[in-house]
Amino acid sequence: MLTYLPEALAAPVSEAEHAERGAAPSSRFRVPMSDTSSTASADDRTQADAGLVLRMAAGDKTALAELYDRFSRPLYATALRIVTDPTDAQDLVHDAFIALWEKAAVFDATRGTAFAWAVTLIRHRAIDRVRSRRRRSELLTAALPADLGYDEDSGASADTSAARSDQASAVRAAVATLPGDQKRALELAFFSGLTQQEIAQKLSAPLGTVKARIRRGLLKLRDSLAHRL
Amino acid sequence: MIDERHEELAALFALDLLEGAERTQFESAVAADPALAALVQSLRESSATLAHTAPATEPPPALRARILASAAAVSAEQPRAKIIPFPALIGWAAAACFAALAAILGVRYYSGQSEAESLRSRIATTELALKGAQNENDAAQIIARRQIDTLIQQAAGSSRQLDAEQQRATNAESRLAATALQLAAADKKAVDALQQLAQLTPRLDAASRNTAEVRTQAEELGAALAAAQTHIASLQHDLQTQGDLANLKITALASLLKNSPQAIAVAVWNPAKQEGVLKVDKLPALAADKTYQLWVVDPQYPNPVDGGVFTVDPQTGAQSVKFTGKQPIAAIAAYAVTMERKGGVEKSAGPFLLLGK
Repeated sequence: MLTYLPEALAAPVSEAEHAERGAAPSSRFRVPMSDTSSTASADDRTQADAGLVLRMAAGDKTALAELYDRFSRPLYATALRIVTDPTDAQDLVHDAFIALWEKAAVFDATRGTAFAWAVTLIRHRAIDRVRSRRRRSELLTAALPADLGYDEDSGASADTSAARSDQASAVRAAVATLPGDQKRALELAFFSGLTQQEIAQKLSAPLGTVKARIRRGLLKLRDSLAHRL
Repeated sequence: MIDERHEELAALFALDLLEGAERTQFESAVAADPALAALVQSLRESSATLAHTAPATEPPPALRARILASAAAVSAEQPRAKIIPFPALIGWAAAACFAALAAILGVRYYSGQSEAESLRSRIATTELALKGAQNENDAAQIIARRQIDTLIQQAAGSSRQLDAEQQRATNAESRLAATALQLAAADKKAVDALQQLAQLTPRLDAASRNTAEVRTQAEELGAALAAAQTHIASLQHDLQTQGDLANLKITALASLLKNSPQAIAVAVWNPAKQEGVLKVDKLPALAADKTYQLWVVDPQYPNPVDGGVFTVDPQTGAQSVKFTGKQPIAAIAAYAVTMERKGGVEKSAGPFLLLGK
């Protein structure tokens, strides 16, 4: 599981070497020290993120600062979207990064990316908080400000980091290709904290239909992202 | 080959929408099927990218410093052991072994070989322990996730109970509203009744007055009835009297006087009352020491019964006197009037002046 560490820490892969190796299977476990290139591939970003987590596991606070710069905007936006209160969202981001710092040593790059790990962590905490604060019936009627991929305000400023901004743009472009009902179902599934039944009730659609929309939407998003990232 | 059903479950699982037994069963399926596990991981990665679709908002600059300060505090509290990767450890161990071998080359060759073997064994043991700790951590995460699911279900149950309570409260309010309506209707009826009562009161007063008048009339009628009864009693008395009259014995007395042949007398006797009336007319006036005395002849006695004395008006010779017998009279055979000395006598001695049978 951790066999890539010596190579990653002791001999960072150069940009040229990195480009040369491309998408070779072994490149998944090579971790560049930095990733500022706006043209970096998804694998490059993934490796860079994992490398930062591994440096954090070794107690490197500069790695934590770097990871914050890469993740904080989408994580904060997600938390704010779910809990709606800026103070709560800041507390959630703070607690999430401290959790990443403390649990960095148990991060397993073979089980998922660091970004997915961080998003899952903050999303769970945000939903727990909003569920504990509001009754579920209120969740049903809570207004959701914008549809996925159609929020004009969430454009270029979503992530000022060039690489992350590219990723955000690619995601929005991919989401924009989804049918409206699939986008709406995914939006509620990801941000609302509602159950399957509650989502169906919210959308006034049969439960089976809502499940099918989520399945199709997520598979299509995955396939679309594979071409864009 | 993954069917649509598992694709659907994988998508819902990636978005944390599976709960309870469905989630547990799917976790087991994922653990047993690497292809399904790969699908779940790819969908989790895809769903995580949705974080980029949230409206962009810049976190406050102070948050970064706050997080780094907290991280430093965590490090100070719990010094992080410097992680030395196992492959590096192997390298250093190997180097150490070679150094040791060089130092005691030839002398402790077999001993050194044994130490190297022991060191490899310890490394293997350490890796196993690390793997075990990771498994425990995974198990703890699964347990915690299930506990969270349970709490969420409990919260949903509480929410349903609250909804039910609200429904009951709404029903109670409806009943209260219905009761209020009934109360209002009852109030209106009461007002109507009061109005009717107000209308009826004058009638009642009038009826009371009528009653008083009727009572007065009744009393008057009672008085009239009493008077009538009295009159009837009087009439009955008169009738009785008339009945008595039927039993009266009337006897005319003729004059036996030569000088007063016109003298006449009538005697009426009521046997029931044992009394009678004697009416005389045109009898001659008597001297002052003389008196007339009436006698009643009853066959049961040997001598006439004394009927009392009387005088007449000197001018007209008339008189009317009530009389009774000195002794009880059963039957009257005749009357006689004699002239006696003043005050009368017990036994007749004078001449008969009038006689009647």
